[in-house]
Amino acid sequence: MAVSETSTPSALAGQNLLGRFFRKEVVLFIILVVGVLLLSTQTDKFLTVDNILNQGRLLTEVMLLALPMTYIIITGGIDLSVGSILGLTAITLGYTWQNLGLPLEVAIVVAIAIATLAGFVNGLFIVRLGVPPLIMTLATLALYRGLAEGISQARSVRGYPEWFFELGQRNLLGIPTQLWIAVISVIIAGIVLSRTTFGRSLYAIGNNELGARFSGIPVNRYKLLIYTFSGFMAGIAGWIFVSRVSTTRSDMGTGLELDVVAAVVLGGTSIFGGSGTIVGTVIGAVLIQLLKNGLALSGVKGDATIVVIGIVLIGSILINNFIQRRSGQTT
Amino acid sequence: MTPILQLDNISKQFPGVKALDNVRFEMNTGEVHALLGENGAGKSTLIKIISGVYKPDSGVMRFDGQPVVFNNPREAQSKGIATIYQELSLYPELTVAENIFMGHAPKRSIGPLKVIDWKTINERAVELLASLHIYDMDVRRKVGSLNVGNRQRVEIAKALSINARVLIMDEPTAALTESDVEQLFQIVRLLKERNVGIIYISHRLQEVFELADRVTVLRDGQYVDTRPVSETSEENLISMMVGRTIDNLFPKLPAAPGKPVLEVRNLNHAPLTKNVSFKVHAGEIVGIAGLVGSGRSELAQVIFGMTPAQSGEILIEGQRADIRSPGQAVKMGIAYVPEDRGTQGLIKQMNIRENASMAVLRSLSRASFIKFGEERKLAKESIEQLSIRAYSPEQIVNKLSGGNQQKVVISKWLASKPRLLIMDEPTRGIDVGAKSEIHRLMSELAVKHGLAVLMISSELPEVLGMSDRVLVMREGQIVAEFDRAEATQEKVATAMMSSGQKAAVTA
Repeated sequence: MAVSETSTPSALAGQNLLGRFFRKEVVLFIILVVGVLLLSTQTDKFLTVDNILNQGRLLTEVMLLALPMTYIIITGGIDLSVGSILGLTAITLGYTWQNLGLPLEVAIVVAIAIATLAGFVNGLFIVRLGVPPLIMTLATLALYRGLAEGISQARSVRGYPEWFFELGQRNLLGIPTQLWIAVISVIIAGIVLSRTTFGRSLYAIGNNELGARFSGIPVNRYKLLIYTFSGFMAGIAGWIFVSRVSTTRSDMGTGLELDVVAAVVLGGTSIFGGSGTIVGTVIGAVLIQLLKNGLALSGVKGDATIVVIGIVLIGSILINNFIQRRSGQTT
Repeated sequence: MTPILQLDNISKQFPGVKALDNVRFEMNTGEVHALLGENGAGKSTLIKIISGVYKPDSGVMRFDGQPVVFNNPREAQSKGIATIYQELSLYPELTVAENIFMGHAPKRSIGPLKVIDWKTINERAVELLASLHIYDMDVRRKVGSLNVGNRQRVEIAKALSINARVLIMDEPTAALTESDVEQLFQIVRLLKERNVGIIYISHRLQEVFELADRVTVLRDGQYVDTRPVSETSEENLISMMVGRTIDNLFPKLPAAPGKPVLEVRNLNHAPLTKNVSFKVHAGEIVGIAGLVGSGRSELAQVIFGMTPAQSGEILIEGQRADIRSPGQAVKMGIAYVPEDRGTQGLIKQMNIRENASMAVLRSLSRASFIKFGEERKLAKESIEQLSIRAYSPEQIVNKLSGGNQQKVVISKWLASKPRLLIMDEPTRGIDVGAKSEIHRLMSELAVKHGLAVLMISSELPEVLGMSDRVLVMREGQIVAEFDRAEATQEKVATAMMSSGQKAAVTA
């Protein structure tokens, strides 16, 4: 079990010790460190404080989306619409500010509210009508993107006031502002997943939904909650995105859902549900971002970068499977 | 006569467990040989060695007098050793005929191509089924649309299609209805006449006496004895299996029922709960008997809020309770030990601690943060109180034996301190030792702790042995009620069968 609450070593049988030590997260972390060291030998621009912080800035949106995605995948679901919700948020923000003339502060709140509603609608159909999450969110991936395009009419929004860029382009205490949000979110999401009744219930649902229902766990309420949370976080990520790139376009966040799912799955969360940790997801997201950046700085061309990332994804999953099997962790 | 199958000094070690220790086993053609033992005694390991899933660490296996080593199940099958596992291994989306010939379909040539000969497949499938006296099965039907009994017949036909000489049946009757059981017995006798050797594993001792010629008993991975069935008795076999005599399988204490805990009035939920009314008092065990499909579990799930009532009233200690979800039922003091512990009762991939606390997690938390210390304490207490055999509360539930898994389910619900405990098939598929322990616990909970217990069981001896009152369900209704004194096998069985149906109840 990958519930990250660690137990007293004395309570464990010897045969599991190796497996406990070589948890998926540990293996992944080793891969991350080795990757970073290798890349830093190729270029001296990679392992610098400035570059790493800048990568943190670029990483924030994926990281914020990966947190609810971890919850959702742990329950055995998936949310493919997050990229589209991010786009819809961006457009709503720009449209309500520029075209409807709302104050920018209000526009931000409205946009995030719409994003939350979009996630709630996903959850409602999944829970009440039993639409499979893959199909529901594949449908809203198209639907929300279509809405965004319809509202924007292919016009981009520019000319945001200077204070608006504080979040996406400036630093707070020497650290990119949005990275603070990411770090705090990661900590809260990690604690909630590993230490609360809600987090425990997500694992129970993912391992055996019927069994969870028979245990009196409010399965439907929790599922509705995580899809709504996913919409909310896509809203926050959309706001950060607009602030970072200074402009609003309807194709923002296209394909982002795949980066997010890749980070979560690379982080050791089982796509079948039932296991996974926030720590793993964080390492997964960081690994992908640093690989992209490090390879680019080493002079590898864009296409080759994607190939390398694909290979690393497959490779690390194979390494993990191998180690888990050797240590008798598979059931 | 040389035995068709002979195993000598077979040992098999798994990390941390000696699953088999110098076990022997032999079988003749045309023999039904029962293999008995408690869960964890090594039966499964033994049949997996015979069918080529595992290789023994030491020992010799002879087939037809020749030493054999199977590297995989396919090699065992090619010798004619077929296995029918508890979980049937059929493809629900394929037809009966396709399933029977999976992997060895007859082919014909069109020019250079070898293609599956559909006509022959279907014809031979019909022949095979006919040889088992099964004439009413459409071989073009998808297996997924068949009931459990028919699926099992397909499995048997599949075994015969590879010319099985040894057929291993692992708990074949566990999921069958009474009439399916009777048909299965006929097929087994038919195979016996054809000189197929059958290894028969079952927890139901009466089946062993009805069917088997000889019986081999294993205990804790060790060989105990092999005897002709005619020279043994039920008590005898039980004491061989558990290594001590079980004085009483149904240790029922005299009950002194108090005030009603549960009262149900005109409860309805289409289609299988119709106008049900009854009461369960504190300190009392009420048994519900009935055939599979008579609506017993459905009734329990209405009371527990899984499928909330469409009309009618549920009263808990005289107060009207509007139960719309299991969560509300738990708050009202209702606990439900469900029928299927694997899919309903437990999260098998999680450990004992996490399962034991699952129903009471909220009360083990502060501001929804789990108090891990208290959780661990609860798990340790559960393990102690129900003597669950586990090396640690961190042990994954899936690795426990059936009886110990059931104890985890029960401990999970006792932790919720219920007023009403509903137990659905509380001892299905578990060994006699654990069975007697669970019965004792049930009785103590009712009498010493004043719980109201509602027990659903398909085993009449259990219903009669444990209940203070017996309710009988048929087609979603309660059709009869008996006091402990007046309830007899015959009366209850007669009430269970709908009019015109023949009483074929295993005693």
